[in-house]
Amino acid sequence: MGADVLIVAEHREGKLVSTAAEAVTRAREVAAKLGGKVAVVVLGSGVDALAQSLAGLGTEVLQVESPHLRDYTPDGYAQGLNAALGAISPRVILLGHTATGFDLGPRLAAELDAPVLQGCVDFDVDAGKVIAVRRILNEKVVAQLEVATERTVVLTFRPATWKPADPAAGGSVRRIDAAVDPAKIRRRFVAYETSQVEDIDIAQADIVVSAGRGIQKKENLKLVEDFAKLLGGVLGASRPLTDSDWLPKTRQVGQSGKTVRPKLYIACGISGAMQHVAGMKDSGFIIAINTDQTAPIFEVAHVGVVGDVLQVIPAVMKELKAGR
Amino acid sequence: MDIVVCLKQIPNPDLQFQIAADGKDVKREGLTYRTNGSDEFALEEAVRLKEKHKGKVTAVTVGPARTVQMLREALAKGADEAMRVADDDPAAVDPMKVAGMLAAAVRKIPYDLVLTGVQSDDYQYSETGGVLAGKLGVPYASCVTKVEAAGKEVKVWRELEGGVNEVCTMPLPAAVTIQYGINVPRYAPLPAIMRAARAPIRELQPKDLGVAGWEAFSSGHTLAVRSLSPPQARGRAQMITGTPEEIAKAVARLLREKSFYRGA
Repeated sequence: MGADVLIVAEHREGKLVSTAAEAVTRAREVAAKLGGKVAVVVLGSGVDALAQSLAGLGTEVLQVESPHLRDYTPDGYAQGLNAALGAISPRVILLGHTATGFDLGPRLAAELDAPVLQGCVDFDVDAGKVIAVRRILNEKVVAQLEVATERTVVLTFRPATWKPADPAAGGSVRRIDAAVDPAKIRRRFVAYETSQVEDIDIAQADIVVSAGRGIQKKENLKLVEDFAKLLGGVLGASRPLTDSDWLPKTRQVGQSGKTVRPKLYIACGISGAMQHVAGMKDSGFIIAINTDQTAPIFEVAHVGVVGDVLQVIPAVMKELKAGR
Repeated sequence: MDIVVCLKQIPNPDLQFQIAADGKDVKREGLTYRTNGSDEFALEEAVRLKEKHKGKVTAVTVGPARTVQMLREALAKGADEAMRVADDDPAAVDPMKVAGMLAAAVRKIPYDLVLTGVQSDDYQYSETGGVLAGKLGVPYASCVTKVEAAGKEVKVWRELEGGVNEVCTMPLPAAVTIQYGINVPRYAPLPAIMRAARAPIRELQPKDLGVAGWEAFSSGHTLAVRSLSPPQARGRAQMITGTPEEIAKAVARLLREKSFYRGA
């Protein structure tokens, strides 16, 4: 059974995603318990600069190179990872729970015949078992799960779970030229596409007032927009509203939409799913209005109001307009 | 084009959840259930692909008898057949075991494409579809917001972070996990609901899948709940309480004090 912790770095169009740096500190703690080491693996074609950058975190970096790893594909990465396993014996393989990370996790698990648990908020080892900590049931319950197995365990962890590691000395890069068979890459990368829609950029606003499912009807958007205007802010939304085409995708705050850091963020009828919170938690001041007092949005808000937005907003607007 | 769509029934996420005395599950009494959100989009996408390319849609689930209602809804919304893997475990915390059961059931059905939702809103592993693909030995793509099938190939758009899509192609058969918002799911017409109420639903027991018991599907590992607990109160939010008028006054005062409102 392996004793190491292997972090899989993600990168897109020449840029590293911060998840690898975020995992380093926690990975070191767990690897120390196991008596193993931490390594970061970066797969690609001509990714020397990325490998050097990762080595700057003070870790051993395995740079897996192949012309067939230029773009991410699950089958290509699975082959590349396999080539790296001569250099490391992982008990745990860690990936960020991003659209790429949770895409790759199950493929790696299939390649290694390993258990996989995705979307963790912490992990540990105890008495030969791998412990995964997860948030379930609309963030309302914390679950500690234990996996009893002799095998490597693949885990993905939510972005921003841990702080990125500071730069440190002692890092190294080991280059591994992998024989990746392109005939075995079934899913082929074609292109990246960015949707272009003309709209204001909500990430530039000082005040963002966002509407969620709690507004119930499309007609009630106007109320939230009026509130935003009264405060000199702009209207944002949570995913269900843009999915229903009540607002354009450009207004969506969250992991798959815009990340905003306004001075004031007001969440109106938004429960606070991880995907939304990831896009607004660093706002300067957060007010949340929701009927469900156990809604996870209140964990990141500075001020919380338990109430129906359709009643609270008009009452607040009336107070503001009344002067005192 | 024959399509299998995998559906999951989940507790209504807006409910309050209490942890059962043994700390291994939530209290199940009084919970209400509904079809997982992204699975609704997967079903709709399956029906649309069938309408365009002909073929058959089979809806499959793993779960207790209550899930029959969900399968009937799927039939009313355009699925042609429905199958339940009759594992009565109400919690089903092991997504790899569920994927194993689904794989065993799917192998009984001719298919070109397997669709699932991108994640279940109760556990949010985002992995059942991917693990299922691995067990079936077919290529897969997750978090898909557009599907185009042509001949022996499928082209998909995967939603990445920050408004970027990754376009890729796969040979069929393949598996795809569907992201929210890919389509607008239809309502079931009344005659279809009436027909679905009488439609047969195929029920699979372990022996039908060639095993002695459901535990056969968690090979190579055991996954157990060590504990469930309420989230630690991070205690950041200062809660404003009172009558609606008092709340409005307090919020308005706060917005003025912080200079977020400077008057008209």
